[in-house]
Amino acid sequence: MKQVLEGSHAVAEAVRLAKVQVISAYPITPQTHIVERLSDYCADGTIKARFLRVESEHSALAVMIGAASTGMRTFTATSSQGLALMHELLHWSSGARLPIVMAEVNRALAPGWNIWADQTDSLSQRDTGWIQLYCETGQEVLDTTLLAFRLAEAVNLPVMVVLDAFFLSHTYEPVDIPSQAQVDEFLPPIIPRIQLDPANPCALNQLSPPNIYMEMRYQIHLVMQAALSELEKFEGDFERIFGRRYGAVEPFLCQDAEIILVTSGTITSTSRQFVLDQRAQGEKIGVLKVKLFRPFPVEAVRGYLKNARKVGVIDRNFSFGAGGIFAQEVRAALYGLARRPPVFGFIAGLGGRDVTLESLGEILTRLKTLKRPDPESIWIGLQEVQLAGPKS
Amino acid sequence: MKAKNNSIRLPERLLISRSYTTSESNKTGSWRYLMPRYYEKTAPCSVACPAAEDIGRIQMLNTQGFFKEAWDTILVENPFPAVCGRICFHPCEKVCNRGRFDEAVSIRALERFVADTAQRYKLTSGIEPMAFTGKRIAVVGAGPAGLAAAHFLHLLGYDCHVFEALPEPGGILRWGLPRYRLPLAALQPEIERIRNSGVSIYCGQAVGRDFLHSAGETYGAVFMACGAQRMPLLRIPGEDLPGISEGLAFLCSVAQGGGPGFQGTAAVIGGGNTAVDVARCLRRLGARAMIIYRRRREDMPAFAEEIELALLEGVELLELYAPIRIEKEGNGLRLTLQQMKIGAMGADGRMRVVPDENRIRELTVDQVFKAIGFEAAEPWHVPEAGAVSHLKLRQAVLTQGANSVPVVYCGDPVTEIQSVVHAVASAKEGAMALHVLLTGGTAAVAETLAAAAVGPGGSLSMEAFLKGERLNRSSHVVAYEEINIDHFQYAPRMIQPRLLQAERVASFAEIDLKISAGMAIREAERCFNCGLCNQCDNCRLFCPDLAVRQEDSKRGRRIDYDYCKGCGICVVECPRNAMVLEEEQDS
Repeated sequence: MKQVLEGSHAVAEAVRLAKVQVISAYPITPQTHIVERLSDYCADGTIKARFLRVESEHSALAVMIGAASTGMRTFTATSSQGLALMHELLHWSSGARLPIVMAEVNRALAPGWNIWADQTDSLSQRDTGWIQLYCETGQEVLDTTLLAFRLAEAVNLPVMVVLDAFFLSHTYEPVDIPSQAQVDEFLPPIIPRIQLDPANPCALNQLSPPNIYMEMRYQIHLVMQAALSELEKFEGDFERIFGRRYGAVEPFLCQDAEIILVTSGTITSTSRQFVLDQRAQGEKIGVLKVKLFRPFPVEAVRGYLKNARKVGVIDRNFSFGAGGIFAQEVRAALYGLARRPPVFGFIAGLGGRDVTLESLGEILTRLKTLKRPDPESIWIGLQEVQLAGPKS
Repeated sequence: MKAKNNSIRLPERLLISRSYTTSESNKTGSWRYLMPRYYEKTAPCSVACPAAEDIGRIQMLNTQGFFKEAWDTILVENPFPAVCGRICFHPCEKVCNRGRFDEAVSIRALERFVADTAQRYKLTSGIEPMAFTGKRIAVVGAGPAGLAAAHFLHLLGYDCHVFEALPEPGGILRWGLPRYRLPLAALQPEIERIRNSGVSIYCGQAVGRDFLHSAGETYGAVFMACGAQRMPLLRIPGEDLPGISEGLAFLCSVAQGGGPGFQGTAAVIGGGNTAVDVARCLRRLGARAMIIYRRRREDMPAFAEEIELALLEGVELLELYAPIRIEKEGNGLRLTLQQMKIGAMGADGRMRVVPDENRIRELTVDQVFKAIGFEAAEPWHVPEAGAVSHLKLRQAVLTQGANSVPVVYCGDPVTEIQSVVHAVASAKEGAMALHVLLTGGTAAVAETLAAAAVGPGGSLSMEAFLKGERLNRSSHVVAYEEINIDHFQYAPRMIQPRLLQAERVASFAEIDLKISAGMAIREAERCFNCGLCNQCDNCRLFCPDLAVRQEDSKRGRRIDYDYCKGCGICVVECPRNAMVLEEEQDS
């Protein structure tokens, strides 16, 4: 059934359909609408889950860890500073191999205070062992949330469903909400592999000395790699039931493209329009959308990009002292290929600034004129700043 | 295990650390170098109470609705809760730790509530006296000190005969305290309870000095508790004129029948409670009443609250005036008053007053009442000065009388302050000392009494003397800083309901009205129970090692030292400092 839904509520509807058992979260803009809707659902009995109120995001994730250790299907949501506060427990969740699902709304980190879209919050958690899935539309948000539970519970790793602040979280779009029967078919009840049981008590996650720690980490690496094929498998199931498929990466008119833009999140939608406009004028360009960031889909990225003449990666994020984070990953993925295109890194849309067709036009112009990529990122749309106040 | 991108199989088993061995095999108690233990301490209120009432415990019982147990807990230390719950000057409330948090607990009102509840339901005390010693003791005077002495001596296993010169027992409580402060209906059951416990009270039986010589034939000891009834002279010209009366005699006549109607103006000379009582009774009889006091209002020995109520009732206060002469003028009396002023600080810590040059004021009134303090009525009511055989205690004096019969002096003539609760404290100390003297000799008195002391103030506990549970507490007095106030919420002190102001001077009805059980419980819940365990269970709930175990004992829990690491969290989270953290003893 199609409904016009806010992106936040697309998450909430998916969580309802997933029959989550324990929810805990701390409110933060622009995530709050997600858990507001869920707390209403818990209060009015629409979903039979425990909603635990806590005093911080750190505690929210701690609750998830406790609940997931008892074998429950769990969900939390956060954003920006909230995610940063969870950092310690992000590592713990993956190390403890708990299939927690989190909606993470991309929002810029302070200071200066900014509540708008920016990916640096989630990308700076890339080494915590969480699978990260980036979304482009409200429909993809709902579908990805359902996929996330299936994937998390299969590989016993936590999964982050990532969506842009406001462009997704607060934007209303038509979304097809599947029936409960369909969802039940795709997502059966959790069969926990970790489940504390008072009848057979055990201690979890105690001291692991050097003689075993490394093997434990290697297994996480292995299942992270396995997640690539698991996701593919589940997307097959998903397509069979719901008729939709996304892929770890999604090419748009890349087949014969000389120039390929690499994007993630909502910038992709603008880029699709841009590509259509440019193709109408004879430009051979395409877009490669990256949905799965961890594990990074190296083979797929190589496959779609290797024949391009130039690649431009658009990052709505930045690693100070290095560059755009997707650009680094794409360069690393292509490294080692005998024949590989030059990769140009562009920074655009930080702190929620619009990335328009004009911004993309500037990127294309640069790509066409520049011979070789500079290690430095190219910042798009920087303006002259008039400083006020005393000099310091 | 091998990584290969396209066809990686998920491992069959999770590689996480998981142990099915019980963590109880790790006896973390071996890490401990500090050791917590339950150790109850002393509340400041119980130290300030001359009768050493176990106030923290009384309030704990009140919060649980155990009013009879609360009443028994008072009675073992003080036989007059209905009296002291009304007229005590409550030194306990001045030192209440709650006072530093918001406002002191209304301890006196709760004492009255407990006593009134016991009277309403005609409860009988559950305190068991010690086995009869076979000894009989004579008590001279049935005022608060004499009756309290009989009560305590009865508890200690003695047969008591109380001799009272007046036709009814009660002394100052019956004859001197106005009914609007202490109704007869509140006093009478307290006396009846003492009588019903087995004490014989002989009224209208004045004893003379020779009794001290002949008593030994019948009695094993004599308790002298005659109080202080004689008023010292003003030592000014005209004080013998007709129309000048003694305040206590006036109060006595009022107590007997309401006293004569009185329309004119009366001056009351003095600044103690008797002066205030006289003035307030005069207002009720229809007179204009003026208190004349040579110092300032804040120097008056009368209780501040009583002064406040007197002024609200229309009593006038002339501060810094000393009468120097009284003369007859027509049908009235002319008082000549010397204006006084503040001088230097005296050795006793009070400001001295000196005449303010020749400033004189004259005042014509219809009657004058003297109320300037009391002394013993007869010289033999007090211990003989300078006798070497005297054992001078804090609030009592023990002597060997004729025929080696011990004589104990207690009450007003030997206490530091003339108050009912001091009379009780004095009687208790005298009874304990006499019991030690008769069972263990003079030498044991000081040490035995010290063991029953509550805190450093010298208040003595009968429960501790009888080897009760109070003996197990530390004498350390809990300071406000030792209370974990994070576990308490602000709550205002109860407001004592009273007669409307306009109704007060219209009769001798009691001014302070009853409070409900709900109000009493809420007020008792404000008590920090300083130093006492009230089973709040914080120690168990906060223990990170589950090393505080529940058990079926009186305390309800114990520390399992096999696992207690000595982190001290239980001690810190104990809201009321009923635990202690000590250095581990080498074993």
